[in-house]
Amino acid sequence: MAKGMNSEYKKMIDKQYRDLMKHCQSHMEQVEKELPEPRENLHELLEKRGVSRRDFVKWTSAMTVALMLPPIFKPLVAKAAENFSRLPVVWLHFAECTGCSEAFLRASYPNVDDILLETISLEYHETLMAASGDQAEACLEKAIHDFEGKFICVIEGALPRGLNGQYLRIGPKGKTGIEIAKEVTSKAGAVICIGSCSAFGNIQSANPNPTDSVSISKALGISTVNIAGCPPNAVNFTGTLLHYLMFGGLPALDGLGRPIWAYGKRIHDYCERRPHYDASEFVEEWGDAGALKGWCLYKVGCKGPYTYANCGKVRFNDGISWPIMAGHGCIGCTEPDFWDTMAPLEKPLPDKSLGFTDATADKVGIALTAATAAGIAVHAAASVIRHRNDDRVNKPEDLQEEKHD
Amino acid sequence: MEKIISVKEWSLAIRLNHWAMACSIFILIVTGFYIATPFTIGQGETVDKFFMGHVRFVHLLFGVILVFLFIWRIYLALFSRFHADWKDFLAFTNIKNFIHQIKFYLLVTKEGPQYKTLYGPLQSLAYLGLLFMVFVICVTGLILMGAGYDAGFSSVAYTILRPVETLLGGLAMVRTIHHIFTWFFILFIVVHIYMAFWYDFVLKKGTVSSMISGNIFKKVKE
Ligand code: HEM
Ligand code: HEM
Ligand code: SF4
Repeated sequence: MAKGMNSEYKKMIDKQYRDLMKHCQSHMEQVEKELPEPRENLHELLEKRGVSRRDFVKWTSAMTVALMLPPIFKPLVAKAAENFSRLPVVWLHFAECTGCSEAFLRASYPNVDDILLETISLEYHETLMAASGDQAEACLEKAIHDFEGKFICVIEGALPRGLNGQYLRIGPKGKTGIEIAKEVTSKAGAVICIGSCSAFGNIQSANPNPTDSVSISKALGISTVNIAGCPPNAVNFTGTLLHYLMFGGLPALDGLGRPIWAYGKRIHDYCERRPHYDASEFVEEWGDAGALKGWCLYKVGCKGPYTYANCGKVRFNDGISWPIMAGHGCIGCTEPDFWDTMAPLEKPLPDKSLGFTDATADKVGIALTAATAAGIAVHAAASVIRHRNDDRVNKPEDLQEEKHD
Repeated sequence: MEKIISVKEWSLAIRLNHWAMACSIFILIVTGFYIATPFTIGQGETVDKFFMGHVRFVHLLFGVILVFLFIWRIYLALFSRFHADWKDFLAFTNIKNFIHQIKFYLLVTKEGPQYKTLYGPLQSLAYLGLLFMVFVICVTGLILMGAGYDAGFSSVAYTILRPVETLLGGLAMVRTIHHIFTWFFILFIVVHIYMAFWYDFVLKKGTVSSMISGNIFKKVKE
């Protein structure tokens, strides 16, 4: 019986994957027909950059697994990568530091993800394009017009709403960030927010937020794909774009708009220091014996237990390292408002100030409990005096009890 | 002539529920504080140690027990055959009694107000608030638990409660709320136990023992 069920189940899964495969293939054909020729030949570029065919195949396997697809999808992932530079992209910058672009494009040992991002067909990217002024504006208008409903709008940076958005004016016509964002996103096939600024507001929107900066989704009231992180991992962005190319739709998202394949599990649950956490072995201060032994960083402020991201799995800079491996706790940069909710970044959460001076929940709690105890002592003494002569008429036990007090 | 008789005030179910809750909450506070501010165990090899693991296990075990005790208490309040007391939780709506009760507690008057409900006006408010606190700490606790264990009961609870996490702005906020409510429990318990003994002393009805034996003393005219 169980065996029958199993093969039945396997058949069902197989069929699902075959259908998905068919859908994917037909979609790719459509992409190849509709979208312009790839700008660059990926394989030539990879060779030029010293990435071997073997490395590319390895990358394909890793990406297929990362996207939670079975191995039969490997050739399709490879094909999507070849078609990567067909996808027209408009890349907008708002209130931010451009660090995400920098992190993606300036890798000193670029891996396939970084090279893929170089091939991206940027119709408009303020940092990278040669055009400026009116010319740049014309590029943007042309891209929006030519690829209406098809292009991907990638956004880096938050939108300040204060002074009617006038904290941020861009371009020769001095349009506000909000105006530009509204114009472009309304015509885009999909809006992908890169980095925590566009996804959640990040440091611009941290308390007290003088410019009233907020995330794209909040400023415009639209739903966006949020590749959170400060900066996020290139893999999470390329993977999401590949998914879009392969299936013509966005991957499954969590309640905060983050792709589940990348942000579905907590840092804490994939952390290589986790056995030390469970064994109660904590770094007490920077550079102590525990730090040398690689113990858990909870007590020096690691926010891994509250943070959803795959940093520990995919790591940064071609998989060399990531913050917790390097010896600093996670600061929770993929979570909304982390400058406020995760502060202080180098102390555990119970040391969080409640907003007034340095009063933490524990300090206030101890003070209130002491005050309550003092109040009780006073009340008890007063009660004994006030109710001294109560009702001891016919209950001798009561009298005796009182004497004991 | 006045006579003192013993009447049944609390059903066995309520008493069991109360003391199970009290024990769970006590254990949860102790283990919770360890999770919040742990100390390092330096001696020995990592492989032989699992202290935080055990503490978390105990916390989650009693956490889930508290969740079911809470559900049981709500059931008793609505459907208990002995005394479904949900109406008694609304005793605080009687403003006159409410003010009278405060005077009694502040020792202005010597006699408390007369009420037919199981709880006095302030008591009803306190216990309602307490049940609300249990509710909040259970919800935040289940979210924190579901974030780490994606299976069975916690997975189901997390699927339902994840939107609450999103609404609050992430796990860090959830954990901060969980921690602050821990202090509400401590404050409550201090006052709660004092008031139990105070009632015993002033009214002499055997309030403390009533939560164990179920019976309370009443004066009746013969
Ligand atoms: C001297 C000991 C205590 C006495 C006489 C006592 C008495 C009572 C009474 C009469 C109630 C209202 C009955 C009810 O609604 O179920 C109650 C409720 C409650 N008590 Fe206590 N209590 C005592 C100690 C504690 C302790 C130590 C805790 C917690 C650590 C605690 C936790 C609670 C809770 C959570 C409720 C409200 C829940 C509910 O309504 O069932 N109690 N207590
Ligand atoms: C009166 C009841 C409870 C008290 C006093 C309490 C107290 C605490 C405290 C102080 C913490 C540490 C928070 C921090 O780091 O700031 C904590 C963590 C936690 N509590 Fe509770 N808690 C209670 C009930 C529950 C319940 C009902 C559940 C779940 C069913 C639960 C699940 C958790 C979990 C999962 C954590 C986080 C542990 C971890 O991530 O390792 N708690 N609790
Ligand atoms: S270092 Fe951080 S993420 Fe890793 S186990 Fe410790 S608390 Fe968790």
